[in-house]
Amino acid sequence: MTGKLERARQRTLADAIREAHILVATGAGGVGKTTSAAAIGLAAAQQGRRTLVLTIDPARRLAQAMGLDALGDEPTQVPLDEAHRGDGTGELWAMMLDMQTTFDRLIDRHATSPQEAAAITSNRIYRQLSSTLSGTQEYMAMERLHELHEEGAFDLLVIDTPPTRSALDFLDAPRRMTSFLEGRLLKLLLKPGMVAGRGIGKVVGAGATAFMRVAGRVTGMELLQDLADFFRDFEGMYDGFKQRAEEVLALLRAPSSRFVVVTSADPPPLREARYFLERLEQEGLHAAGVVVNRVRPEVPRDPSDAALERAIAALEAAAGDDPGAGEVPAPGSSDEAAIAGALRLLADVRNLAARQRRDVAAGLFGVDVPALVEVPLLGGDVHDLAGLDAIAHTLLTGRTP
Amino acid sequence: MSGQPSAPGSSPTLEGYDGLLGPHVSIVTGKGGVGKTTAAAALALAGVASGRRTLLVEVEGRQGFSRVFGTQPWDYAEREFRPGLWGAAIDPAESVYEYLELFYGLKRVQWVMERSNALDFVTTAAPGLRDLLLVGKLYEIEARRRPDGRRAYDLIVLDAPPTGRIVPFLQAPEAVTDIVRVGPIRRQAGQIKDMLTDPRRVQAVIVTLLEEMPVRETTEGIDALRAAGIATGPVLANQVTLPRLDPAALGRLTALGAEVLRERAEEHGARMSGRTSELTLELATAHVDRQRYQAGLRAELATTGRPVLGLPLLAGSTFGVTDLEVLADTLALQVGEDGPLAAARFDVAALHAITEGRP
Repeated sequence: MTGKLERARQRTLADAIREAHILVATGAGGVGKTTSAAAIGLAAAQQGRRTLVLTIDPARRLAQAMGLDALGDEPTQVPLDEAHRGDGTGELWAMMLDMQTTFDRLIDRHATSPQEAAAITSNRIYRQLSSTLSGTQEYMAMERLHELHEEGAFDLLVIDTPPTRSALDFLDAPRRMTSFLEGRLLKLLLKPGMVAGRGIGKVVGAGATAFMRVAGRVTGMELLQDLADFFRDFEGMYDGFKQRAEEVLALLRAPSSRFVVVTSADPPPLREARYFLERLEQEGLHAAGVVVNRVRPEVPRDPSDAALERAIAALEAAAGDDPGAGEVPAPGSSDEAAIAGALRLLADVRNLAARQRRDVAAGLFGVDVPALVEVPLLGGDVHDLAGLDAIAHTLLTGRTP
Repeated sequence: MSGQPSAPGSSPTLEGYDGLLGPHVSIVTGKGGVGKTTAAAALALAGVASGRRTLLVEVEGRQGFSRVFGTQPWDYAEREFRPGLWGAAIDPAESVYEYLELFYGLKRVQWVMERSNALDFVTTAAPGLRDLLLVGKLYEIEARRRPDGRRAYDLIVLDAPPTGRIVPFLQAPEAVTDIVRVGPIRRQAGQIKDMLTDPRRVQAVIVTLLEEMPVRETTEGIDALRAAGIATGPVLANQVTLPRLDPAALGRLTALGAEVLRERAEEHGARMSGRTSELTLELATAHVDRQRYQAGLRAELATTGRPVLGLPLLAGSTFGVTDLEVLADTLALQVGEDGPLAAARFDVAALHAITEGRP
């Protein structure tokens, strides 16, 4: 039933970590993307590569573990002690994305004059847009990735994508960004005459005027004036912007760019992971594999569930003051009670592990997964190099250290 | 809302369904992956059990509720899918139509907007408008009355965006007033704010796991909500590990050793390999460590001063609607109401001890 999945389990991320130039960690919110990205970076550094992890809002203690107390928009080297550095020829660097700085720099680069740049960055619409337009953060992450790629200082760039509602926003970001900025619709709304001859019929023009009357009443005309100014200022920059977005997409399509789909073993993130893998294929993008975080260790099938239940009942009856009353005795009150508690625990863990395994199998059923790595559930959060090292080991070998 | 005084280190308790579900709207948030949808569904079922006409609302288009309740996919229409429980998935495009129709009688506009793709702009691109429309719809539902003057719903449970986005989400109407200086949107933004900041009408319910990052996001979320003037109700600690063993029991097991454990299990009819008995001892150690870790994070939650209710990790080999009913009953028991399904499934006193921060 899970033939494909079993084959995928035999493969690891080792090849991708050794060969890729860009690795993008993606997945639903709260599945451990940031930790996975950091562990991938560490694994690559241990394999002798000069690696940069570009992260977004890392957990504070994880950031500290990576030596990133005060991180800005520029790469900082993570000091690796002897125990975690592999053969010592690689390097691990990390940085945090500062979206606003990246966006402002993008405007500066494409504006035809400093005055034009200033006009745009002081526009209320721009300020709102750059912080709230959905997909902006995703797009800026890609933009920064491209800058770092052009600078060429690293063998491998690992990027942790923002916690979006849906992981798919990330793929749509460049397209959404340019289609918004192109603003044909808005230009049409603002100055219907302007786009005549671009193949948009008269009917829409008339409708747009109706829309404008409504929008004006709903929003107040000031908003529309700001929009008009924004698009006027932006007009000269649009082509540069669009070309840049196309370059970013081309970079992501290169065979040396691969996506690591991160998920937990719960059905909702697994659904997103599956959808994302299918989307990657449609878009001609390359998947490196799936990382399933927080997987419970598999428990042997002996004794049988029925035998376990019988033994628990017998031990509890032997332990209780009042056999047959059905009360669960305090586990510390006798050896029998303690053993009964331990067997109950075994049954719980076995049930949960079986549930997870079924959920993973069902969630990824029939999908082509190049590699599937299951990272075991650890005691607490990962917040030091030793914790990342253990995950790095699993990503490279498929086994727990 | 959080009436009872409490011992140091423990949290205030809630009295009855009115303590748990006093305000008309419960906005359920929490870090991604903590089980917001499950907790929201359990809260709504508790609402139904209390006799409240309850509406469960989804805003992120995930179809999480229809999957867990096993219904047809949900849409904009509010439908009663269990006695006393309605469900709807509200989406911004539908809200635009409704808004324009309501305020301008502009049915015809819908056609024009579809033709010109304006919706794409309005709902995905325009600054904050998407959130504005969703919150506006929530406002409309809360304000709605039946012909006899009673509320359309006694309780609205909203499966809201995660903690990191909840305040910008709820404040979208206000944010828009920064760029929109006149007109009905501006006027309505004030009314929406009045609703959100009235603790009799709205409470935020934060869902967390007893783990480091979710707990930190919970405390940060409570601060951010407080700063925004939005009341926070109970914190729901999800997937709480119920104690099967305590340190005394672990001491006994360690003293016995894996081989004796194996023999004693076998004497009582459970034949197991040496590997399984060794693993059982490892699990026992990890389990007791986990209790300690959980207790530490529980103590951190207590510093927020909010009541904490627990939802146990149900160790069945499947998870379905029955489990949601058990979780709803668990909430009921913790506020002093009846919860027969939970009482039958696990030791509620043990859960109480964990979530109330008692030793």
